[in-house]
Amino acid sequence: MKKVIKITILGMIIISGFISCNEEWLEPQPKSFYSPENVYVNKAGFESLIYTMRKDLIRPNVGWNNNLSQEFAASDLASLWSGLDWREQTPNSNRIYTLNRFFTNIYGYLKTANVVVSRIDDIEWESEDERNAILGEALWHRAYWYYWLVNSYGDVPFIGEEVTGPRLDFYTHSRWAILNKLQEDLEFAEQWLPESGGPGAVTKGAANHLLALVYLANCNFDKAIETATKVINGPYALMMQRFGKDKDDPVHDVIWDLHRPENFNLPENMETIMTFIHRFEAPSDAKIGTGSIILRNYNCAWFQAAVKDSQGKNGMVADGTLYWDSLGRGNANATIDGYYRYNIWSYGGQTWRNSQDLRRADKNWIDLHEIKYNNPKSVDYGKPVNLDYLINPKTDTVYNLYAMPFYITWVPDQEKQSVPSGGYADWYIYRLAGTYLIRAEAYYWNGQLAEAANDINQVRERANAIPVTPAEVDIDFIFDERARELFAEEQRHSELVRVSYIMAKLNKDGYSLDNFSEKNFFYDRVMRCNKVYEDQVTMLGRTSYMDPFNVLWAIPSNVITANTMGVINQNKGYVGDDKNVPPLETIE
Amino acid sequence: MKKRKPILTGFEFFLLRKILKIMKLTTILLLTTTMLVSANVYSQSTRLTLKFANITYGELFQEIEKQSEFRFAFSNSKLDPTGKIQINATEETLEQILNEALPTGITYEIIDRYVVILNASEKTMLTERQQKQQQTVSGKVTDESGQPLPGVTIVIKGTTRGAITNTDGNYSLTNVPYGATLIFSFVGMKTQEIPVSGRTNIDVIMAVETIGLEEVVAIGYGTVKKGDLTGSVEKVNASVFKNQNMTQITDMLAGTVAGFNTTQSTGAAGGGSLEVRGRNSLNASTEPMVVLDGSIYPGSIRDINPMDVESIDILKDASSAAVFGARAASGVILITTTKGGKGKPKITFSTQAGVTQVTNKYGPYDAQGYIGFRQDVQKIYHPDNPSFYYANPEQLPEGVTLEQWRSASSNPDADDTREWLSRLNFYDIEIENYLAGKTVDWFDEVFRTGVRQKYDLSVSGGTDNLSYYWSIDYQDNEGIVLGDDYSTIRSRLNFDFNPTKWLNVGLNTQFSQRDQSTVSASVDQMRYMSPYGSLFDENGDVVWYPNSFTVYSNPLINYYGQDRDNKINSFFSTLYANIKLPAGFNYKISYQPRFQFTKDYNYWSTKTIMGTTTHPGGFGQRSESTSFGWILDNIITWKKLIGFHNFDLTLLYSSEQNRYWASTLENESFTPNELLGYSGLQFGTNPAVNSNDTESTGDAAMARLNYAWKGRYLITASIRRDGYSAFGRENPRATFPALAVAWKLSEEDFFNVDPIYQLKLRTSWGKNGNRDIGAYSALARLQSTLYYDATNVQVGVSNSSLANYGLVWEKTESLNFGMDLGLFDNRLSMTADYYIMKTQDLLMNRKLPEITGYSSITSNLGELENRGFELTINSVNIRKQNFTWRSNLVFSLNRNKIIRLFGDYEEVEINGQIVKKELPDYSNEWFPGHAIDAIWNYKTLGIWQVDEESEAAVYTLKPGDWKAEDVDDNDKFEALTDKQFIGHREPRYRVGLRNEIDFLKNFTFLLFLRAELGHLAAFADARRYGGSDNYDRRNFTEYPYWTPGNPINDFPRLDANDGPYGGGLQIFKKAAFVRAQDVSLSYTIPYSIMQRYGIENMRIYGSARNLFYISDWPGWDPESLNGPMPKTYTLGLTFTL
Repeated sequence: MKKVIKITILGMIIISGFISCNEEWLEPQPKSFYSPENVYVNKAGFESLIYTMRKDLIRPNVGWNNNLSQEFAASDLASLWSGLDWREQTPNSNRIYTLNRFFTNIYGYLKTANVVVSRIDDIEWESEDERNAILGEALWHRAYWYYWLVNSYGDVPFIGEEVTGPRLDFYTHSRWAILNKLQEDLEFAEQWLPESGGPGAVTKGAANHLLALVYLANCNFDKAIETATKVINGPYALMMQRFGKDKDDPVHDVIWDLHRPENFNLPENMETIMTFIHRFEAPSDAKIGTGSIILRNYNCAWFQAAVKDSQGKNGMVADGTLYWDSLGRGNANATIDGYYRYNIWSYGGQTWRNSQDLRRADKNWIDLHEIKYNNPKSVDYGKPVNLDYLINPKTDTVYNLYAMPFYITWVPDQEKQSVPSGGYADWYIYRLAGTYLIRAEAYYWNGQLAEAANDINQVRERANAIPVTPAEVDIDFIFDERARELFAEEQRHSELVRVSYIMAKLNKDGYSLDNFSEKNFFYDRVMRCNKVYEDQVTMLGRTSYMDPFNVLWAIPSNVITANTMGVINQNKGYVGDDKNVPPLETIE
Repeated sequence: MKKRKPILTGFEFFLLRKILKIMKLTTILLLTTTMLVSANVYSQSTRLTLKFANITYGELFQEIEKQSEFRFAFSNSKLDPTGKIQINATEETLEQILNEALPTGITYEIIDRYVVILNASEKTMLTERQQKQQQTVSGKVTDESGQPLPGVTIVIKGTTRGAITNTDGNYSLTNVPYGATLIFSFVGMKTQEIPVSGRTNIDVIMAVETIGLEEVVAIGYGTVKKGDLTGSVEKVNASVFKNQNMTQITDMLAGTVAGFNTTQSTGAAGGGSLEVRGRNSLNASTEPMVVLDGSIYPGSIRDINPMDVESIDILKDASSAAVFGARAASGVILITTTKGGKGKPKITFSTQAGVTQVTNKYGPYDAQGYIGFRQDVQKIYHPDNPSFYYANPEQLPEGVTLEQWRSASSNPDADDTREWLSRLNFYDIEIENYLAGKTVDWFDEVFRTGVRQKYDLSVSGGTDNLSYYWSIDYQDNEGIVLGDDYSTIRSRLNFDFNPTKWLNVGLNTQFSQRDQSTVSASVDQMRYMSPYGSLFDENGDVVWYPNSFTVYSNPLINYYGQDRDNKINSFFSTLYANIKLPAGFNYKISYQPRFQFTKDYNYWSTKTIMGTTTHPGGFGQRSESTSFGWILDNIITWKKLIGFHNFDLTLLYSSEQNRYWASTLENESFTPNELLGYSGLQFGTNPAVNSNDTESTGDAAMARLNYAWKGRYLITASIRRDGYSAFGRENPRATFPALAVAWKLSEEDFFNVDPIYQLKLRTSWGKNGNRDIGAYSALARLQSTLYYDATNVQVGVSNSSLANYGLVWEKTESLNFGMDLGLFDNRLSMTADYYIMKTQDLLMNRKLPEITGYSSITSNLGELENRGFELTINSVNIRKQNFTWRSNLVFSLNRNKIIRLFGDYEEVEINGQIVKKELPDYSNEWFPGHAIDAIWNYKTLGIWQVDEESEAAVYTLKPGDWKAEDVDDNDKFEALTDKQFIGHREPRYRVGLRNEIDFLKNFTFLLFLRAELGHLAAFADARRYGGSDNYDRRNFTEYPYWTPGNPINDFPRLDANDGPYGGGLQIFKKAAFVRAQDVSLSYTIPYSIMQRYGIENMRIYGSARNLFYISDWPGWDPESLNGPMPKTYTLGLTFTL
């Protein structure tokens, strides 16, 4: 019995022991993850946010059917081969494109920038410079994404701080209010960002390049000129001489050198203002997907069964030199149209066939006559493709066979055994040639045509193109020049939208903000240039079609419906636009 | 329980007593042998209060007869009935009173309710005779209808000696000790233990086994007789399932318990989801808590061998589950494993072997169908071509010449067949295979007839102070999909010792190893494979893309190219000590450690896409995790009977800790070669490491009181306070009370309805909690990413979740009304329950607009209601000689409703009045006032037909697209105005019907039918969504599609467009089904035969699971919906030594 009592007492002691220490007992103990409380406490924590922002630049610009390539597919230079009918790009569904997804992705990137903005004064900084350089870079990233947003989707909700609790009461801000805010932020960032900062870093030059674009969008042309001039006078120069990895190969030229990803971040490349870094040698978690996939996005689907030989047999196989050494497995996600392939190069009596412009030089492009039947079983093996043998020339030449800017798309896979789609590559975000074209446009809007022509000719002369005369400079010429210089590099659709807004605001050529969704420069230029719509091409049962309101992409409906306590506007023309309320005109 | 009638009426006994009074001892002995002897339950359970200062023995006996059902008789004893005594007894048993009251030399014998007063010498004689005498006992065994029962086994308890009844039901046993007990057993009948008590003739009536009221049911930290339950508890006896193939415990439960829902899983490992009484949480887990041998069991149910299970109790209402408070909101499953019985070691061996196949075929087009499919695809993609353009040149439509056909192409191939196939956009490999007559049946390549086997061995036994049970099983299952393999070894040891009268110690331990190294063929990729593609190339290597289309890979690549070793070792033990304390107290301490070690090693060779394209040069990965958790329970119980008041008090203090450590190593690009696979990760050139540890802690204090008055009124009250670290920042603790009352109406004196054997009314109320959201849900997390800046690798961070330190338990409050009714001696019994459950402070990932950068935040919001009705009916329909038919019917329905969500309101005008209306959560499709499983979508009206082209065009749709109701008729499909409530995802009614038929002495046939009725399920294929733009290069599952020539109304055209449907269109089809879930036939080899070989019992059986079903569901099996379901045939053998 004594034993019983002893054991009982022991049990009671155990019980009371647990009761007495139980407050600490229930304190949660995070083990394998960081939380804001233990990271955003010093400069290193903020730098980690900066690294995330730099990495976030990769995804929209890289990979299969990426957003940058869709900027072209939704423009005057290319089209959506599997989604030719824009009536299928609805607030609910994009088929295989990702216009809706891109909208929400961008807000995901904005989140990180907003954390920096909201928490910047939570810690003690060693100096004002240090604080503001970090803040400046975050503001630059925020501006970069909003600039892309407002020029793709028009009026959107502006979120300017870290979201710390459930919020479902968002309202749309007017595009102009957001542009003003970006202008303000970039004016600040520009003062504090460094002159140079190594590959992938945001510099004063990058801030001014973007600021110049924002000024342009805001119709503040003098400021745009002033700011672009700062960049042009900065530590940059157009590359006029051969350089980089193929420097000693006499076959190539400076345009070729300029477009080799290995050369983008060479110190000798003075033209680079900003790039993102995406290297094969990085650990796999630091990479996105399997590479740039640029071959697949822009090149034609030349290897498919539609490409017949003279006997009606398959003339192509997905193998051999075309496959591995030049074209890769093209999928024409952005189906390059005849305007970019041919029309745009006609100038000064020259055409694409004989243009002296290096950017359309025979050695830099792969034209149809250079695409040769590669099926060893074909009687026509080794001969150039013959369009007459195609099953359906009207559509097959849109998708299966077209000329390609080899000097841009040639990014070989580092891993030879994989399907060739385009390997890892750094890519330009801003390049000085682009800055010249921004300033040229600003001069144009100011009526300073000589200055405009001069800037354009800086770019043209480097490419050995015939200089343009001031009288010939108009907005279409500027956008042709942008196409010639910045293919697969600029945000094509967004830039056209930006100009559409400028023309509407200035009431040029009969455009007006009042009926922007019914009549706009974007739609008219696309219809003028991209003949795929006029030709009524049918692919996969879809016939090419676009409405003027497609100038702006749809706001995804799931975002609108999830926002139960506020109103996010739908763009005019899309289902749901009847619930819109006037957008907010100010950002506090 | 209804009062049992005395065998003799009062008057008869009065007469008898007159005679008895002068009877001799021999007569008394005669009496004892002729009366049915039963255990002295009555005398032990009846308590008497007698307080008399001066009373005669005669008056005392009369007083006792008045207070109770006891009747007294005298032998020629020397007791003077007028002798006076003093008595002061409070709530004592008759034995206690008589021991006190009777003078020396006088004793007594209680036989049921009859008390015979004897003198000492008579008693001694009686006892000696009882003990010494050996005799031959014979008799007849019949069933309740009086028909003789042959084949009944009779064993002398504690020995191996026995007999078996002959065809007339007669038996005879020699040399039976006077005091021995005989055990009568027969399949499907209740086993009876009958003391011989000197009789030479014992006739026995065997009763059919029904779930009796004396049966003990586990209620959490204790047990209670089923008849005394206050809550809603359902017991499942494992023996019912002995003739079925079972991989997992859940295999027993699917459809067999009202209100308990499981869905069979489809893989080789078996198992399935578990849910008690509908979904009571939007986001936290709704899996019930598992309690194994009284200990909360956090491990995998897969690690419990169903053969070790004695019974399963399912606690459905709040009161029953409340003692487990914090985690019991979704119900509790109590699993009790087998313990050793007394006697010599009993060895049981059983084996099962079976095959498994898919229940239905939902596969890609075969060679012939593929061509038709491709012709229709091409016609849609190229509407400009003449209709005969894609026709087979050898079967051209009437009026079309070959020349016309050829000239429709500007560049026709010289070979007509090649030209035709190229018009169908066949790849070269397809053309060559077509011409060579080679095809691949992909369904046959991916699916197989799987072989399943299971072996079980157990040894059990014990003495008065010790019992043991040890078992081991090995199971090896092949699934229906190639490469889906599962095997497990499980062992269990249950030990229980009584070293002293006041101490009991023991352990229940299980160990298991699961081998889940499955690399299955891809059922999904199978759908895309062309029958004219090639599985292997000429070197015998697997072709990555069998029909050259690089989007869809060979479903067998990983099966052939991936090396995997995935093993899970688990150990779970309950170590306990019970200490008896004075005054009815008992102290129990129980410690339950659990270990789990998991390894998952994988190597994707360069023959796989993963090991080349995704990760260059081969990809190896080693994941290892360890978890260790423990619970320490301290339990004090107190049981006391005071007068009519029966108390049973339980106090608990418990604490727990769970820790988990995981690490992953990865590498790729192996040099100089990849031969070492995952064992040579160091030879790769791009390593990556990852670790993920978690820790959570909890504690609990609980008190429960069970109180009964006269066995008629039963009350259970409990309260539990829980702590959990996930809520540790601000609200670590919560309290969960419960109360239940039951009234055994049939025990009342006034209740006298003859056919009613028992009637009990129950009601209970209680609160339970749910904490199942992950240990760190309240905290904000950062996610990290690697960034390469061209020189160095940097770590970037970003916010990945929002903090909510105020997070608290989700609480479910429920009310249960129940009734238990037994009719005709419980031959027909019925249990009905109605419940209302309200869940508050729902733990949910509240969806946020994605522009916040977060998809959701974990919050406590809203209120959810579940109401339901459950009915269980057990009956013995026919009971004849050689033929017994028993049925068990379960029926349940559950209706749930979202009462509140986030508390965000809008003002709307309804009938001219401004009404505040709560805003729904459109992202999750949660609507206040509607069920969670309500389907909110477009109400489809069919398919736009050719003559409706212009109407369809209004919506930018075309003939062949889905047509839906445009509620506001504004020519647009907008989610908020045009989506409607069109049905429910969860079954509206669930029914299970088990029929067991015993016939021809040794045969038992079982048929278990199960139905889930009234619900719809999404059939995404009916949207033709995602990828119909490459139908011209691949195959797809064969199911109907609309064409102008086949203007059906329930499936759209091949290239259907649903883009104009705002918020997205989903198509729902009826998923109701009735299935023959289990069919079995078993044969018990007669004891007379097996006896010769020293085998106590031997049974062989055959069974089939999921033999057939009836359903309108167009896809795979209606239960598994979007995946294949196996059907299994099993043969089994069991014998006991």
